[in-house]
Amino acid sequence: MTTHKFLFFIVFFLFSFLSFSQQNQGVSVTGQVLENSGQTIPYATLAIEKTDLSIISDENGKFIFKNVKPGKHILKITAIGFAPQKKLIEVSGKNPLHFSIPLESELNELESVTVLGRSQTEKVNKQAYNVTAIDAKKLHNSTLDLAHALDRVSGVRVREAGGVGSRSELSINGFQGNQVKIFIDGVPMDNFGSSFQMNNIPINLADRVEVYKGVVPIWLGGDALGGAVNIVTNSKPRTYFDASYSFGSFNTHRTSVNAGYTSKSGFTTEINAFQNYSDNNYWVNVDVADLNTGAYFPNQRVRRFHDKYRNETVILNVGLTGKKYADKLLFGFTAGENKADIQTGARMVSVFGKIYRKGNILMPTLKYQVKDFFTKGLNFNLTANYNFGEEQNIDTVYRRYNWFGDYKQYEGAGGERSRTLRKFQNNNGVATANATYALGERHSFMLNNTFTTFDRKESDELVPESLVYKQPKKTQKNVLGAGYKFDFNQKWSTSVFLKEYSLKTTYSRSYNPSGNAGDIAYQQFVDNTSTTGYGAATSYYIKHNLQIKASFEKSYRLPTPEEIFGNVNDNLEGNLALKPETSNNFNIGASYQTSFNKVNALSFDVNLLHRNATDFIRPTLNNNQTMTTNVNQGKVTNYGIDGEVRYSYRNRFTAGLNATYQNIRNMTEYEPNQNYVSPFYKDRIPNMPYLFGNADATVFFNDLIKKGNNLSVGYNLLYVHTYYLSWPSMGSKDSKLEIPQQFSHDLNAVYTLANGKYNVAFECKNVFDNMLYDNFSLQKPGRAFYIKFRYFFTK
Amino acid sequence: MKTNCKLALLAALAFTTFSCSSDSDKAGSETGGVDTGKTKYIITATTGATGIADYLLTTDDVATGSITTTGNGLEQDGTYRYYITAQNNFFSLLYGQGNPGAVTTYNLTTEGKLVKKSNFQAETVHVFAAVNKDILTIKVPRSGASIASMYKIDAEKSLITGEVQQDTKKLAGNGERAFYTWATQVGDKVYMPYMSIKGDGVDNFGTSNPDSTWVAVYNYPELKLEKVIKDNRTSYLGAYFTNGLFQDENGDAYGFSGAIATSNAVLTSTKPSAIVKIKKGTTDFDKTYFFNVQEKSGGYKISATNYISKGKFLLLMYGNAGKNNGVPKLAIADVYNQTFTWVTNAPATLTSVTSRYNITTEDGNSAIVGINTPEGNWIYSINGTTAVATRGMKVEGGQITAIAKLKY
Repeated sequence: MTTHKFLFFIVFFLFSFLSFSQQNQGVSVTGQVLENSGQTIPYATLAIEKTDLSIISDENGKFIFKNVKPGKHILKITAIGFAPQKKLIEVSGKNPLHFSIPLESELNELESVTVLGRSQTEKVNKQAYNVTAIDAKKLHNSTLDLAHALDRVSGVRVREAGGVGSRSELSINGFQGNQVKIFIDGVPMDNFGSSFQMNNIPINLADRVEVYKGVVPIWLGGDALGGAVNIVTNSKPRTYFDASYSFGSFNTHRTSVNAGYTSKSGFTTEINAFQNYSDNNYWVNVDVADLNTGAYFPNQRVRRFHDKYRNETVILNVGLTGKKYADKLLFGFTAGENKADIQTGARMVSVFGKIYRKGNILMPTLKYQVKDFFTKGLNFNLTANYNFGEEQNIDTVYRRYNWFGDYKQYEGAGGERSRTLRKFQNNNGVATANATYALGERHSFMLNNTFTTFDRKESDELVPESLVYKQPKKTQKNVLGAGYKFDFNQKWSTSVFLKEYSLKTTYSRSYNPSGNAGDIAYQQFVDNTSTTGYGAATSYYIKHNLQIKASFEKSYRLPTPEEIFGNVNDNLEGNLALKPETSNNFNIGASYQTSFNKVNALSFDVNLLHRNATDFIRPTLNNNQTMTTNVNQGKVTNYGIDGEVRYSYRNRFTAGLNATYQNIRNMTEYEPNQNYVSPFYKDRIPNMPYLFGNADATVFFNDLIKKGNNLSVGYNLLYVHTYYLSWPSMGSKDSKLEIPQQFSHDLNAVYTLANGKYNVAFECKNVFDNMLYDNFSLQKPGRAFYIKFRYFFTK
Repeated sequence: MKTNCKLALLAALAFTTFSCSSDSDKAGSETGGVDTGKTKYIITATTGATGIADYLLTTDDVATGSITTTGNGLEQDGTYRYYITAQNNFFSLLYGQGNPGAVTTYNLTTEGKLVKKSNFQAETVHVFAAVNKDILTIKVPRSGASIASMYKIDAEKSLITGEVQQDTKKLAGNGERAFYTWATQVGDKVYMPYMSIKGDGVDNFGTSNPDSTWVAVYNYPELKLEKVIKDNRTSYLGAYFTNGLFQDENGDAYGFSGAIATSNAVLTSTKPSAIVKIKKGTTDFDKTYFFNVQEKSGGYKISATNYISKGKFLLLMYGNAGKNNGVPKLAIADVYNQTFTWVTNAPATLTSVTSRYNITTEDGNSAIVGINTPEGNWIYSINGTTAVATRGMKVEGGQITAIAKLKY
C-alpha cells in the first residue's frame, strides 16, 4: 500500500516541477481536423514547427492557436491512427486564418476495419484507461435501451428484475449497484429518480456510451469504486431530426424524438423526448397457490397480469453555441414521469395485483463551456442541476392474489404487503466544474470538482402526524480531483491524479428524555468524513496497431444517501454508521489490429484486472429480517480477464466474440464476533455471474434494390454460465440452488433507405424462447418480436 | 446485386423458421414419515450469508462429535425461515416480509434421510403452535388494518383447512391494539397472551400500558374468543415472536413476563419480571401465586423461556440487570419451589442461543439447546435439576438456529 503511495507521489511531484512560459502577440489560427469522410477527429495534436506552439484539438476536432506571429509556418498534424501531415500556412497582418485539415487514415490497407470495426468511438477506446466505448449511433435502429446496449460489452452484466422498465443493476468486473457510477455527459446520475434511468432511456439519446472498467478518469468527477459508465449525448451544434417508433410483443410501444437546431448566430435548441409503454404480460412458469388451502398447482404457465409500465420524459435545452465567451451555454429542463405496477416481491412466490409505484423528475439544468478562458489552452466547463421530483409507493388494497390473478378481499384498511402511501422528495442537486489547461504539446492539467446535495422530505397521508418523517435526512458530498497528463510523444501517454472525497451527513436519533411512556425527543447529529484517493494510467503504442495500457487507482466510494437513510420503496433500511468502501484497482490491457489480403480485418482486445476491496459495502438482512440494510464488510478480491475478438470482411460482414471470467473471492477470514475462520473464507462470492460472453455477426447487403438502400441482418448471442445462489462450499451438492446456464439468441434485420434517412428494423429477442433468469431466479421475457421505424435527417 | 438479393432472401427465411422450447419437470418426493422406532435430530444452521436460509443438518446423536455445513446439509430456498414440528413432520416456514411465502414440509424416509414432502403457500405469520393435529398460525398486524388472521393447517396433509379473523383493536379495547406474542394449547382451549401496542405506524411496538398482563382464551377448533384474562402484577407474557405461556404435566399453565414494555424504544415497565400461574380448569390468574424472578435473580429480566419438565424451565435472561439488553445468560427456574439458579459450565460469552426451537432429552431431565459463541457453536444439554450445562456436538460452518427431532 505504502509503495504505490510513495511511487505515486514521486511521479506526481516530478511532473509538477515542469515550468512554463507564454507570449502574447500575433493573430489567431483556427480550424478543424477531419477524416477524409468528413468525420471529425478529436484530440489530434497540432504543432507549429520552430515555435513552442502546440495544442490538442477538442472532441470535435476543433483547434485554435492564438497569437501566431506573421509569416510562413509549417503546421504539423498528428493523430493516432492517421498518417501525420504537414501543412504550409501563411499568416499575414491581422487576418485570422481558418481552415479544415483532412487526414488520411494510416490504416488504409485495413479498408474494412475502418468501415466496420474502428469508428469514431474507437478513439475513446484508445485512452490509457481501461475503457470500452459503444458507438450508440450503430444501435439507433434497434429497440435497445441503454441498459441492454451495455449488456453487450465484455466485463459488463446488466441484471434486471423483469420486462420493460424493471429495476436494473449494472455490474462491472465484480462491482455492482452503487459501486458502479453512471454519468450522463460527465454529470453523475445520482438520484435522478425512476423516470430517467438506464432502463428507460432509449439508445437514440446517446451518441456513444463509454464504459470505464476499474480506474475512472478524473473528468468524471465523483466516487466510483470500480468502474463508471458515461453516456455521451449528441453535443455537436447542428440541425437534425431523429424520430422513431417501435412496437412489439407484450403490447410494447416506444417512441423517441430527438431534434436540434443551431442557427448561424449560434442560437441552439435541442429537444429529446421519449416514451415507453409495456404490459409486460409475458409468460412465466410458476407454482400457483390455491388462495384458500395454500396448495400449489405446480409448474403452471401463466401470463404476468400486473406489470404495466409507462414513462414519458422530455428534455429541452436552449442556449448559445460557438460564442467567444461561451462555446456552449445551455439552459435546460428535464420533465418526466413514470408509473409501474408491481407484480412480485423480491421473489416470484410473492405475487401482487394492485401495488404500484410512481415517480417524476422535474429538473432544471445548466451547461456552460468555454475554451481559452482568460488564457490560451485553459478550458472551463460547468454544469448544474437540481431535481424537484418525487417518488411514491401505493399499497392500499387489502387483498391476496395468486398467479392466476384470483384474489381474496379482506375487510378493513390494509395492503397487499404493507399499507402505505409514502412519498418522498430527495431534493437532489449536482454541480460539476471542470478546468483543463494544456501547456504545449505534452502537458495538460485538469481540475474537477463535483458537489452533490441531498435533502429528503418525506410524508405519508395515512400517518400525517408522524414525527419520523420530519427528521433531517441530509447529505452533502464533494469530490475534488486534480490530474496531470503527460504525452511524451504520439506513442506514450501518462496520467496521474489525486482525489479528495468528503461527506457531511445530517441526521437525528430518537430518545426518550424523561423515561415516561410516549415521551419522545430527537437529537440531531452531523458527521463529517473525508479521505484521499489517487491513481495513474499509462498507454504505449509498441507498433501503430499494437497498444498496451496499464492503470492503477486507490478508489473510494462514499455511502449513498439511500444507503445511509434507506428507501422504504425498495425495502432498504438505512445505516447511519456506514463507512466509505475502498479498493485498489489494477488493470493491464492490450489491443491489436491486423489485416490480410486487404479485405480481412481482425482486432483483438484483452484486459487483465485485479481488485482488492476493503470495507466492502454489502447488503444484509436487518434485525427483524423485514428489510435489507448495508454493512461494511471485510475483504473481497477479484482476478479477472476479459477479451474481445472482431473480424470483418470488406464492408460486407462483421463478427465478434467477447468473454469475461472473474474470480471474485471472499477474503474475509473472520466475520464480526466470530473468533474462528469463516466457513466461506476464500469462497466465490455467490449470486454473481462469473463467466459470461457475447457473440455477434452481421451481414450487410449494400445498395440492395436501390443505390443508397442497405440491408443488414444480425445475430447476437448472450451466454451466462451457471452460478450458485449461495456460498458454493455450503450444503450438499445435490441440494444446492443454482441459476442455470443461459443462452439468449437475438436476431435483427435493418433496412435503411435513402442513405439512412428512413429505417425499418425487425427484431426477434430470445428466438428459442429459452428460460432466462436474473436476481434470485426472477424470470425474464421469452421470445418477443419488435419492429421499429425511424426517420433521421441532418443538415 | 443479384447475389445480394438471394443472400437476403435466405437470411430472411432463416430468420422466420426458428422455434423450439424445452421444459423439464421434477416431481416432488412423496415418501417418508414412517415410524421404525428410531429418531434423528435435525439441526438448522445459518451461515450468516445474506439472503440465504439455514442449512438442514441431520444426525443420530448430538451428545458428541461434530457436524458441518461445508458440503453437507440441505440447502433451502428463500431467506429467513421458522420451524415447527408436528405429526412427525418438520415444517419450514418462509418469513416473507408481509408477503406470502412457501412452507416446506420435510420428513424422514425409512433410511432416516430427510426429504422434502411438499410445498404449500401460507401467509407470513408471527405465531405458530401445534394444537391437536393441526398447526395454528396467526398473522398479526402491527400497523394499518387491525384484523389478525388465524389459520388452521392440517399437519398431516399440509393444507390450510380454516381461517378466522380477529379485530385486534376490539380485543385490546384500550385504544391500542393487541399483538399476540404466542399461542399455547391449554386443555382443549388455546390461550393467546398478547401485548398492547400502539401500532400507529411510527412507534408500532410502543405502548402506554406497560404494566398489565393479558391472555385471550379461544375455544378450538372454532377459535371463538371466550374470555380475556388480566393481571396487573407484571407486564405482558412472552415477547414479540416468543412464547411466554406453558402447560405443565398437571395441566396448570405458567406465564413468563420479561416486563420489557417500551415506548419509543425506552423501557417503561415499572413492574418486575415475573412468573404467574393459571390453575388447571380455570380461566383466571392464580392471585396466590407470584414468582418474582427479577428479585430472585438479582435484578435481571427474562428474555425467553423453554419448558424442560416437572416444573423446571430454562430461562434466557438479559445480561444487563434491569434492562432489556446485554449478553444473554442462562438460568433454571423451578416454578413449583420458586427457585432461581444460574446455569453453570456454560460458555462465558453467548452470541446467541436457540431459545425458540429446542427439545428435551429422552429422559425429560435436560434441555437440548444450541449455543453460539465467538469461539464456535455447540449443542449443550442443560440439566433442569442441577442447572449444569454439558457440551455436546460441535456445529461448524454456521450458527445453530434450531434443534428438532423426528421419528422414522
